Amino acid sequence: MRKSLLDRILDPQQLSVRFQPIFSIGLGEHQLHSVEALIRGPRGTHFEAAPILFDYVRRKKEERAVDNSCIAAICAEVAGLPRELRINVNVHAATLGQNPGFVDSLRRQAYKHSLSLDRFTVEIVEYAPTCDIPELSRTVASLRKAGMRIALDDVGVGQSNYRMMLDCHPEYFKLDAYFVRDLKNDSKRRAVVESVVTFGKALHSAVVAEAAESIDDITILGDMGVEFVQCNLLCPAVTLEELRAKNILGEPANRFAFAQSAGVETKSIKDIGHIPSGSALFV
Amino acid sequence: MNAKVLIVDDDDQLVSAYLDYLTGLGYSVDTAGEIEEAQTLLTHFRYAVVITDLRLSRLSFGGLDLVKFIRNASLATRVVVLTAYGWPELKAEAANEGVDVFLRKPMRLSDLARTVAVLSGGAA
Repeated sequence: MRKSLLDRILDPQQLSVRFQPIFSIGLGEHQLHSVEALIRGPRGTHFEAAPILFDYVRRKKEERAVDNSCIAAICAEVAGLPRELRINVNVHAATLGQNPGFVDSLRRQAYKHSLSLDRFTVEIVEYAPTCDIPELSRTVASLRKAGMRIALDDVGVGQSNYRMMLDCHPEYFKLDAYFVRDLKNDSKRRAVVESVVTFGKALHSAVVAEAAESIDDITILGDMGVEFVQCNLLCPAVTLEELRAKNILGEPANRFAFAQSAGVETKSIKDIGHIPSGSALFV
Repeated sequence: MNAKVLIVDDDDQLVSAYLDYLTGLGYSVDTAGEIEEAQTLLTHFRYAVVITDLRLSRLSFGGLDLVKFIRNASLATRVVVLTAYGWPELKAEAANEGVDVFLRKPMRLSDLARTVAVLSGGAA
């Protein structure tokens, strides 16, 4: 009998992992900070696309099971990355709020592949109003105790609201792409960025801007106090092999001035100027 | 452009038969074995016609739940419901939920294809 779609998704070997770098943009030192591990579903199916895969999983209310499978797939793949590189993994709020065993599960997978837990940042996604906040808070505390950091995904949209910011007190706010477009001409979006940066400073949380579409926007983000960017313009989500081939995992500390790798030698991102939309420095 | 058809049934053999036949006629066909999979595909893709079994994913009338989902989402998708039951009340309920065609199983594949052709405006 053919395995069901869910059975295939829950088999970590059916999942594949992509990595998208997150860069520090502070003070002209544009360096690789970490990579976000992103899951793709079974190859050759519609569910290879992450939005479709996770839409299905949420309809099945199988967030917990699928998060465990994703963690297993990611830990196996991360074993091929330099030991110093930080790894961001997405975990549903429902998993953290309903599954006290998640931290142990993550710990087992990390140990199985000799990965240090303090390399991980757990990105909390898809908070639901029904989420068990006290349990979520306890799990977040356990993750921190184990050495991990917390990021809150999609800040500004959906349920990543002020309550979640306070309850989770993340080390990173990941500002949704919606607020990062055309900052040069859009004072309202700049006001949103400014407010999140201000709030982040009050909570000692750094801001990561997602999906910036131009170097102008990245420059403005840096000037406004955003510390990190993650966007296809700089590097799309790629396989482990592609990531290695791009030569951005430099030793000894995985630090990388991406302007140099882009062939711009000593120039900072401000010197690069505008890069046409759709192009990417590391593509 | 080929009309896009979604077949929803948890019987792999039937799905395979419909898939092969309709694909052979030039339709672009996706399949789903359960209601959540179908709902996900309907959320992300547009289909001219959905062919669904009435009994779905162990739900007696899961096919009608899918029809409700389609109509609640205001999708223009036309819906064919397949069932072994021919109860008039069931047909009436299906029509009330917005089912376009109610076909009794077993039916000839050519009948199914003709129905799909009519509902999709004749575009294979």
